[in-house]
Amino acid sequence: MSNQKFLSAQIKRRTLLKSMAAAGAAAGASTLGLNRAFAQEPEKPAEIIVRAWGGSWVDALKAGVSDSFTKATGIAVRHDLTEDNEIQPKVWAAVAQKRVPPIHINWDTTTNATKSALRGVTEDLSDLPNLKNTTDLSKPVGLDGYPIVNTYGYVYVLAFRPEAFPNGAPKSWNDLLDPKLKGRIALYNDGIGFHFPAQVAGGGKLEDIPANMQPAWDFITKIKAQQPLLGEDPDFTTWFQRGEIDAACTISTNAREAKKNGINIDWVVPEEGAKFDTDGLWIPKGLPENELYWAKQYINHALTKEAQQVWLDGLGLPGVVPGLTPPADLVGDPSYPTTEEDFKHLIRISTKVQVENESQWFAKFKEIMQG
Amino acid sequence: MSAAPAGVPQQETAAAAAVSVKRVSKVFGDVHAVREASFDLPKGRFLTILGPSGSGKTTLLRMIAGFDAPTEGDIYIGGQPVKAVPPHKRAIGMVFQKLALFPHMTAAENVAFPLKMRRHDARTIPEKVERYLELVRLGGYGKRRIDELSGGQQQRVAIARALVFEPDLLLLDEPLAALDRKLREEMQLEFRRIQKELGVTTINVTHDQREALVVSDEIVVMDGGEIQQMAQPVHTYRTPANAFVANFIGVTNFLEGSVVETSNEAIALSVGGMRVKGVAGGTAKVPAQGELAAGALRAEQIRIAPTVQGFSGLANVVSGEVRDAIFEGERIVYEVVVPELGGAVLRVFDHDAESHQQFGPGDSVALGWNAKDMYIFKK
Amino acid sequence: MRPSRAAYPIRWRVMDILEQVAGKLWPRSFSAGLPYLMLLPALLLVGVLVWGLVEIGDSSLRTLDTSTFLMSENYTLANYQRALSERFFTTVAGRSLMGSLIVTVVTLIFAFPYSYLMVRTQSSALRKFLLVALFLPFFIGQVVRAYGWLIILGNQGMVNEALGLVGVTPIRLLYNYPAVLFGLVQYMLPFAVLMLAPAMTAIPAELESAASSLGANWISSFRHIVLPLSKPGLVGAGLVVFTLSLTDFAIPAILGGGSQDFIANAIYDQFFRTSDQGMGATLSLLLVAVGSILVGLVFMVFGAGTLAMGGDRK
Repeated sequence: MSNQKFLSAQIKRRTLLKSMAAAGAAAGASTLGLNRAFAQEPEKPAEIIVRAWGGSWVDALKAGVSDSFTKATGIAVRHDLTEDNEIQPKVWAAVAQKRVPPIHINWDTTTNATKSALRGVTEDLSDLPNLKNTTDLSKPVGLDGYPIVNTYGYVYVLAFRPEAFPNGAPKSWNDLLDPKLKGRIALYNDGIGFHFPAQVAGGGKLEDIPANMQPAWDFITKIKAQQPLLGEDPDFTTWFQRGEIDAACTISTNAREAKKNGINIDWVVPEEGAKFDTDGLWIPKGLPENELYWAKQYINHALTKEAQQVWLDGLGLPGVVPGLTPPADLVGDPSYPTTEEDFKHLIRISTKVQVENESQWFAKFKEIMQG
Repeated sequence: MSAAPAGVPQQETAAAAAVSVKRVSKVFGDVHAVREASFDLPKGRFLTILGPSGSGKTTLLRMIAGFDAPTEGDIYIGGQPVKAVPPHKRAIGMVFQKLALFPHMTAAENVAFPLKMRRHDARTIPEKVERYLELVRLGGYGKRRIDELSGGQQQRVAIARALVFEPDLLLLDEPLAALDRKLREEMQLEFRRIQKELGVTTINVTHDQREALVVSDEIVVMDGGEIQQMAQPVHTYRTPANAFVANFIGVTNFLEGSVVETSNEAIALSVGGMRVKGVAGGTAKVPAQGELAAGALRAEQIRIAPTVQGFSGLANVVSGEVRDAIFEGERIVYEVVVPELGGAVLRVFDHDAESHQQFGPGDSVALGWNAKDMYIFKK
Repeated sequence: MRPSRAAYPIRWRVMDILEQVAGKLWPRSFSAGLPYLMLLPALLLVGVLVWGLVEIGDSSLRTLDTSTFLMSENYTLANYQRALSERFFTTVAGRSLMGSLIVTVVTLIFAFPYSYLMVRTQSSALRKFLLVALFLPFFIGQVVRAYGWLIILGNQGMVNEALGLVGVTPIRLLYNYPAVLFGLVQYMLPFAVLMLAPAMTAIPAELESAASSLGANWISSFRHIVLPLSKPGLVGAGLVVFTLSLTDFAIPAILGGGSQDFIANAIYDQFFRTSDQGMGATLSLLLVAVGSILVGLVFMVFGAGTLAMGGDRK
């Protein structure tokens, strides 16, 4: 983040603070948005707990959303770095047993959040005032109301070390089949992000998802022969840094993080396309009334332009509020889609289809990779 | 085992003996466990190394067995130096202190073990095993597990196992120490019987003087890593070489005083002002007049009576007062305080069942003994 | 009265009071029940375990409905059918079982001389060194140790750097089956040594002297005496190493590069990645079953006293 931007964010935060105070005095928390009288504002909890991903992810959230929220409200924000997959059953169990859930807000993939929404453990967020300022991306597809709010999108790019591609950047996912890259490529360990481009690279059609994904499995079988490493977000950064891999299908943020750490990394959206997906925030059911109120305020705050700008500068991802300035290094980057044209190269599959079939895709991917 | 190094000077003399120990020393760190021990044991003899714990007797045995190497000196078995021969290549049968029977094998398997290890013809093994089990009177017990046998039976298995391969030498490392007295005495006789039957040269280690006297042809008494005396049992007992041997074997009273007279073998000591007559003991130099010396006197050599009547033939006669009378069954042990000897307390055995003469504490008694029964050693 | 008071120290009085209180709480007539009272915490723990197993058993009979992400109401054996028929699960199970077997054999081969030397050495310095070398890894957790191997065996790790000095291009030493087995053996070695050492201590050194005096060279002595008498330790150590390897999670996850899953990794995925508690429960139960059957078989073959270290041996 440049100094310039940091300062401007600072200023913005200060103006926010000023307007907050003014709004409070005017007996209406209008900046935070809910049309309630000051006297009725529920009691503030000492802190709210936000589950987040670690590393650069939580740093960005803290800088963009949590710190300014604490400044504005005086409520401390604690970041719980439990893995998203591990917090899910805990929240589900808490709701099933009518206990107070262990977190106030879950920062989650839209697919996983949708599972929780389908299960009915999420609070409805339709009444957040700032939703009216957001793009369509914030609305979860195929669900009633806003059980979750999407806060940004991201792309599973093909990240690579240019030294390993002396003839220029790879153009196709098929370039991963180069014998030179045997043992030098990496995918997510459940194959997430790779299933759909594999369907195209394997000669299939996206319309056949989920009915016929044989082309994807055939392509993944070919990839298996390349002995890929399989890991999670932090693994990709580490592997690039330690020189274990030359190419990976990973979220652009991880590649950008390695680049920030001085590793020569570049990324492309290959001709077959790359998976585009969203992450969101949601609130589990079962919170006390006042904590629910302030948890909603947190999400509402995360949808302000000011918060989005700083948060997503950190992540290098496109947000859901119009008019955000892309980080300088990502202007025109395929992993930072802003225009209609950008989105044409990206693959978006409905959340519903993903939620219903993901388990099977993961299982199939594992079956091929573990064989 | 074949090529004995040429030029070993003792070789010819060593060849006569089944076992020959030549100036053997063993040093552990700064502890001199064995110091210049030497002896020759003729074939077929039963030798006991007798000594208190820490006397070096077990170390000497372990060196003969090959588990430890001498720091100095040489050991010859059957005339051959064995310095370079590992234990498993020495033809030595050994019965260990805790028997060291293999708990996962039957009695017969234990006995068969050395035959298998020494590659005896497999067809002859069962017959040999049975023969040796019968020798130790365990015929028919072969299939028993070790823990199904009594302590005495386990002893017998251990003996059979040590003998079955017909070793040149049998070593016994205090195997009877843990047994109760009755069984121990029975096994002592058993050892003796088997040894005589087979004629195998045997070295036994024990701290039990009675065992040494009962089973041995020869006794080596050790103390402080040094051999004190090597003699036949009767000589070890009757003519101890020094005060240690006299004290270690039998119940011995010591009377200390200065020498007042020496003539040939006869020596007189002044003990508490009284003149006591004895003879020079051991092989060491006879103490000179005025030197301090100790007279060793066995408890059974002292006669005890109400009065001095009948003691006319005895060189030494004193009177005293019974302090304690201990009834031990076949004998009574009196502790008698003798004011004439400076208040010395003498232990006296009384085997005289005929007299039924029992003294009690406080009774006045007369004691008497021959001069030849008291050995005088230089202090 | 006074002198006797002085003769009765305060500490005795305190003990008297304590005894009285204890007598009130647990009268003497209950004393026969005391052993059972002592057993209570253990029974409680076992009870919780059994209760958990029953819950898991219940889950294992329900399937996941991906339209609501709730477990089905009715019972079905579908999960078991999947677990036993789908290739993925059989592959992972086969890999875990085979891997654990290899790890067990290799670990025992390494642990045996190590324990033997530790127990038999005359040098107390060497024994201390062996003990410290053994316990040091215990203070370093499994995960940290696995990451250590990543650093040592990585493409830019020490081993490859060393190979680079003699002109060998970096070799992929990590993220494969041998790497997982290697990590497991290294992790299991202390457990095996700690289980073997008491069994070896129970073999009197005199037995080996005896074997030697009876004509056995060290190989025969080892084969006929030390090895058979170490059996209780070997069986116990083998059982512990096998079950720990079979259920291990971290080593396959970290050193396997994602493609060498063991059963525990598959269970994790079911619970936390695909949210299928039913399938996860099924795999967990099958793992428990395999482990239990194995322990049962070992007990049947070698006797239940095996793990008690054979107290009757002299």
